[in-house]
Parts: sequence; structure tokens; C-alpha cells
Amino acid sequence: MSRRAAALAWACGAAAVAALPLLVKNAFLLHVVILILMWTVLGAAWNVLGGFAGQVSFGHAALFGIGAYTTIILFLKAGVAPWWGIPLGGMAAALGSVPIGLICFRLRGPYFSLATLAVAELAKLVALNWESVTNGPVGFLITDLPQLRLLGHAVDWEAKTPFYALAALLMGFALFATARLRQSRLGAYLVAIRENEDAAEAIGVDTVRAKVLTLALSGFLAGLGGGFYACYFRYVDPDAVLNIGLSMEMVFIPMVGGLGTVCGPLVGAVFLTTVGEAVRERFQVGHLIFYGLFMMIVIRFLPEGIWGRAALALRGRRKEAKGVGAA
Amino acid sequence: MALLEVHGLTRFFGGLRAVGNLSFEVAEGEILGLIGPNGAGKTTVFNLVTGFVRPSQGEVRLSGRSVVGLRPNAVARRGIARTFQIVKPFPGLSARENVTLAAFLRHPARRDAEHAADEVLGRLGLSHRASTLASQLTLMDQKRLEMAKALATDPRVLLLDEPMGGLNPSEVDVAVGMVERIRRGGVTVILVEHVMKAIMRISDRVVVLHHGEKIAEGAPAVVVRDPQVVAAYFGRRAA
Repeated sequence: MSRRAAALAWACGAAAVAALPLLVKNAFLLHVVILILMWTVLGAAWNVLGGFAGQVSFGHAALFGIGAYTTIILFLKAGVAPWWGIPLGGMAAALGSVPIGLICFRLRGPYFSLATLAVAELAKLVALNWESVTNGPVGFLITDLPQLRLLGHAVDWEAKTPFYALAALLMGFALFATARLRQSRLGAYLVAIRENEDAAEAIGVDTVRAKVLTLALSGFLAGLGGGFYACYFRYVDPDAVLNIGLSMEMVFIPMVGGLGTVCGPLVGAVFLTTVGEAVRERFQVGHLIFYGLFMMIVIRFLPEGIWGRAALALRGRRKEAKGVGAA
Repeated sequence: MALLEVHGLTRFFGGLRAVGNLSFEVAEGEILGLIGPNGAGKTTVFNLVTGFVRPSQGEVRLSGRSVVGLRPNAVARRGIARTFQIVKPFPGLSARENVTLAAFLRHPARRDAEHAADEVLGRLGLSHRASTLASQLTLMDQKRLEMAKALATDPRVLLLDEPMGGLNPSEVDVAVGMVERIRRGGVTVILVEHVMKAIMRISDRVVVLHHGEKIAEGAPAVVVRDPQVVAAYFGRRAA
């Protein structure tokens, strides 16, 4: 994509995101959109590591949980407002990811994946048992968010719009970070690592450094998502934020949307969240069966993901058009 | 002073001594052939020199500086590049992207790296395949690509692991020409090869390995008549 086309796409996207709350007045629909934005951030977090570098983590709930706990503990115990707490949650998760990476990246392929699974379980056990810090299984509950005035108006935390704005900001950041990564040398090196790790080392790629850096970025984004979750749902306990299901969702979203693409997580989050909420409403019992069915269909027929396939088709058509022009 | 010095290099795998007390030197601009029967330890020597496997003992120096203990990426940064016997391209990327990734080592900006990659592709006769996926290339072109990737890291010493294995005779001639051109470009070459015709033609000097030990060293024409070498390849009775 040319630079101008990319800038135009970003501008259109930003305009659409800004216009949406003016059009959607239904609180439930806005809630679904907020969930989509949050899941886009989380999908993007997993995507930089799993999609670009090909390192499949089943433990991203640990990073999400670190973010959520950091934000809520800072708020409840130290009075740090969420708009500082959320980035700090991201930073805590990024810091926490470094030792995780240094240990788990000694392993490759499925062994790495299993190690991350173990890390997530360890994180959950720590949260359950370290009661002086985490409140154990009881967790934390935010009853009131702080008074804040923005442009002369008091922010109404009971409404959905402030959270929508916050989530949109985080999503914009996540997609922008992914786009920048893709353009960078580190991004190119991650693809080399995904394709063949030994060959990457042989051409001078410091694979350990690249992977640890990427996990830190991934952790930062996952921590931002966790921090947002804590403020939006106002409730954090080990079952809610360190659940294995969270780790799996973070895998599915970029997978359905398109691994290793910038917009894949957004597309994946749109489809999975709407399908998930739609079947949950219709079938109170067994809605996950339909959700699973949808996953299977996508993986069977669109292995490169919905956005991945669309991007391929688009590129193919452009090439054809060029060929015709030349002839 | 020799550009690359290998001294007392030894590696055990469990109780098996894959390489034992191996020493040799390579002068700047030389092509050194490393030959020996299957399982002699040739590829292990490459793995030891490039940091993929740590030596149990011994020293490897480039321009007098030890590279032992460095990870492969650091060895590549110092200026020792290698190819793999079983080619390891980045299969889902085009030939040009493959080489660009390697060129990133010396050219951090993408545009410079792409420029350097195009130059290397041209030198190895791969320009017309630049946009082909690496996985779709013929074996000959994959071997070319393997060399192009190594060259794009701008090495001082290039270790080629059977660049001619699996090629037909006319392709071997082309490959020989490529190696000679690489040397003329100022790169010192160590070549592991089974195609004797090629080794004889292009090596300045040959080191013969057997059971991980050096059994002969010298000019190719002399070494092939060495009784120990003949015995290693064909058995004692032939010698």
C-alpha cells in the first residue's frame, strides 16, 4: 500500500471510530462495540508474537492479568487514576514478560507453547495465594471511579461513552504499533524467525533478543487490555482475569482475522465478538457449541484468516490489473 | 597471519568424538576444500566454527579474535557466513525478501537492504527469480539463494556446505563458476563437497577429515594420491 493510501485508510478508520457513538445509542450495542475494541487490543497483543514471530503462546492471560491487577491495585490502594494505571499496567506486564521470555524461549515450537501454558497457571496460583497483595480468590471491586473533568464537562463513568473513547484510543495505539512493527527491521526479523529460526541466526538475527523484545511489546499491549478490563468491569479476581479461556480467545482472534496482519485482530474481534454475543443471546444453553462450529468453519475454509484472505485477493486483483495495463 | 585459524578443535557427542584435535588455517582470499567420507565430521566443523554447536575444546579465531562461545548471529556479525547442506530458505517469502533479510545485518534501512539484495541476486544470476517464493524455486536456484543469503551478510569468510550436492553436471559447472566469482569478490571460502571434480578444480588447498581427525592436507592433486586418503575412502586394500 502506498503511503498516501495508508494515511487515507487510517484517517477513514479514525473518523468511523469517532462517529460510531453518535450513531449507536443502544447501550447494549455500544457495550458490544467496546468489547470488540478491547478484544482487538488483546488480539493484536498476541498477534505480534504469535502471528509475526510464529511463537504460539497459550499463556497470555498471565500478561492480561498482570495488567488488570496492577491497574486495580494502584487505583484502590494508591489512588492512581485509571488513565495512569492502564499504561502502568501495560508496563508491569511488559516487565513481567521479560523473565517469562528468558525462560520459555529456551524452548522451541510446541514446547514453548506448553511452557507458556504453565506460566499462566503459575500466575493464577500466585494470585490465588498471595492474599496480602491480590486479596486471593476474593479479588478487588471498584465501587467509584474518580471525578474527572474533561473540556469543562464532568465525565460520567456510568455511561458507556468514556469507556468507548478509552478503548478506541487503546485500539488505535495497538494497530499503529503493529503497523510500525511490520515496517521495521525487527518486524522483518520476526518473519525470518517464524519461517526458519536456524536460518535467521545464520544471517545474523539475534533471535533471543528479537523474541524477548517482541514478547515485551506483546505483554505491554496485553497489559493495556487487562488494565482497561479492570476499569470497565470494575472487578478483578483470578477466575476473571487469569483464566485459560482468556489465553485461548487471544489466540483465536488473530487466527480468525488473519495471522501476521495489521487489521487481522480487528476483523477477528468483530466476527468472534458478534458471533459470540449473538449465539449467547439466542441459545442460553450450549452457545459455545455454535461458537466452536464457527471457529472450525473458519479454520477449515479460511486458514489465512478472513482479513488475510481478503488482503490476498485484493493484492492478486491489483497484480492482474497491472498485468493488463502492461499488455 | 591467517584470516581464520582453527586450533585443537574437539567436540564430543556423548561418548562419540565427532571432531578431534583439528587444526587448520585459511589465508585471506583462499578457497579451502574440506573433504572426507560420510560421517567424517565436516558439517560438525562448520557448526563449531559458526557457533551452532559449542566446541568441547579448542579455539577458532577470525583475524586473531576468538569466536568460540558466540551465538551464531554474533559470529555472522563478525563476518563468518555459512550455507546449510539441506537448504534453509525462508520458504514463504520471495527470493528478494529472503536476501533482503540477510542484507539487513549491514544495512539497517530497508531501502539500502533491498538495494544490496538486488545487487547480490544479480551477481548470482537470480534476478529473474527475485519475486518467486523461495519454496517454489528449483533445487539449483535454492542453492543459489542459500549462497545469496550468506553473501548478503557481507562476510569475510564463507562456509559452503555441499553447494553442489544434488546438482547435475552442467549445474555443477555453473556452481563452480559462482564460487570462483565469490572468491574474486574478495571473500575467503571454505567448501565442504563430495563432488570431487569440483573440489579438484577450485580448491587451492584441501583438508581431509576421517573420523573427525585430519588425515591429510595439501594441494588437491597431491592429497588424492595419499594412501591414507585412499584407504579412508575405499578401504585399506585399495590403498
